[in-house]
Amino acid sequence: MTAAAATETARVWLVVALTLLGLFFSFVSMVGVLRLPDVYSRAHTASQADTLGAGFGLAAVAITVGLAGAGFKSVLLLFFIFVTNPTAAHAIARAAFEEGIVPWIEGDDRR
Amino acid sequence: MWWVADADPASGGDDPDGDAPDAAAAAADSDATGASGSAGAVIVPVEPSSTLRSTVAHVAEAAAADGASAIHLVEIASWRNGDPESEERAAAAERVLERAAAWTTADLDDSEAPAAPDVEVVTAVLGADDYLFGADDYVRVLAEYAEANDADRVVLDPEYTPVGNTTLLQPLEFALSNTPLSVETAPVDRPTRRERFRTEATTGRFVALFGLSLAFYLLLGNPTYWFDAVTGVATAAIVSITLSRVSLDSNPAIPRTPMRILRGLIYVPVLLFEILKANLVVARVILDPRMPIEPTMNRMRVIVGSGLPLMTLANSITLTPGTLTVRARDSDLYVHSLVPWAREGLFDGSLERWTRFIYYGRRSARLPTPRERDDVAILQGPDATEELPIAAAAGGVVDASDAADGIDAADASDGSISSDDASDEVTDR
Repeated sequence: MTAAAATETARVWLVVALTLLGLFFSFVSMVGVLRLPDVYSRAHTASQADTLGAGFGLAAVAITVGLAGAGFKSVLLLFFIFVTNPTAAHAIARAAFEEGIVPWIEGDDRR
Repeated sequence: MWWVADADPASGGDDPDGDAPDAAAAAADSDATGASGSAGAVIVPVEPSSTLRSTVAHVAEAAAADGASAIHLVEIASWRNGDPESEERAAAAERVLERAAAWTTADLDDSEAPAAPDVEVVTAVLGADDYLFGADDYVRVLAEYAEANDADRVVLDPEYTPVGNTTLLQPLEFALSNTPLSVETAPVDRPTRRERFRTEATTGRFVALFGLSLAFYLLLGNPTYWFDAVTGVATAAIVSITLSRVSLDSNPAIPRTPMRILRGLIYVPVLLFEILKANLVVARVILDPRMPIEPTMNRMRVIVGSGLPLMTLANSITLTPGTLTVRARDSDLYVHSLVPWAREGLFDGSLERWTRFIYYGRRSARLPTPRERDDVAILQGPDATEELPIAAAAGGVVDASDAADGIDAADASDGSISSDDASDEVTDR
């Protein structure tokens, strides 16, 4: 196996690993949205595990297409997600807080 | 200096900054001024605005006519003592105050009203010990000062925007109407009527926004292709003409702005690592069949400036899994935490220190943690130290044990309901 082929193989495996990591964190995010008890804790996981899920996914894209062209745009996309994602989560949580929804605590009956 | 000694003997030798506690003590034992002047003192918040001169003229004229005891020209600090640049900004404020005081004195000398010579002119810088966030903070500072100095009126310069880089969501006039002070906007001609939420357009801001949007456009397109260059310049021009007064709230400056960007770049990998670490912890909690979460609402008072620094900190907190910024009420952040681990990490204040590092440099980042400062509170659960400031409105969630109180819930104060919740929580255990 030549050196070029070896780096190519390494790149493919790196892309596979990053994609799987992205899938894992997106999966965790989904499970969290289904399992967690109230709007606040769901806002946590909907935005956050997703950030990392999208992050690893975009990293895989960047490595696949190469950093020179479109890969750079995926870095910008990541930046965009990192700015907008917490803002959206904050907007949801803030709206819930202003509506007077008391956050769920341990021992609370409602689910 | 400007502080005329007969008004309050205690502060005769005091510095011109008029520290509130000293002034309060002084005002308590000096009622001498009440006899001479029929009206109390007037407070004029001062900023270098286009209508400051005519406002001062109006105030001097009115004060002389009414026989006001004093004119207090006050500048509300847009800095916090000890921050970088605070000394320069304090000096600039002193210069503005000095000029306004000189104008006032000259106007009083020119005035023909018999009471004019009795009006004293006092200047003060207020609120430099703390970051002030919104209209409420300014009003609190003004009201304390008014109380301490026996003032009953506030005259606002129509162009007055407290703290050049802060956008006030709530007009100062409205907030002042909740205090015993009477408020009046000086009836002077304003050169142009500007819309709210807009800061001043400056060349620096325009150039910075133009460069930024052009660079971004060319990054997305092809920088060497002439068509992209032409459309890029056109787009950047449109963006910077329409938005340079909205998007940037302070002038870019060398070396401050590049240093902030550099320090921000250092922060990115740190934040990414924090996100990864916290994500693993939260993922484990979510996937655990027992799901051992202990969510609580918490409050943390942070020491960062309003605007961009606070946004950076709140966004970083939300990005870090396990913590979610729910409200920012002035410098109080209400943060929901999913697990105690995340809460403890929050109270250790490393994100706060990093934010201070980005915006104010390394020296300013050394400060005690919020926990050491006693600026934290847990608002729910068995460890609660403070009540949850939430109005459990009708239709809001009140759990089964409180159902009987449901009718009262609408008009009961928010504190009592949340304390009920807290006590139920304790007795359940």
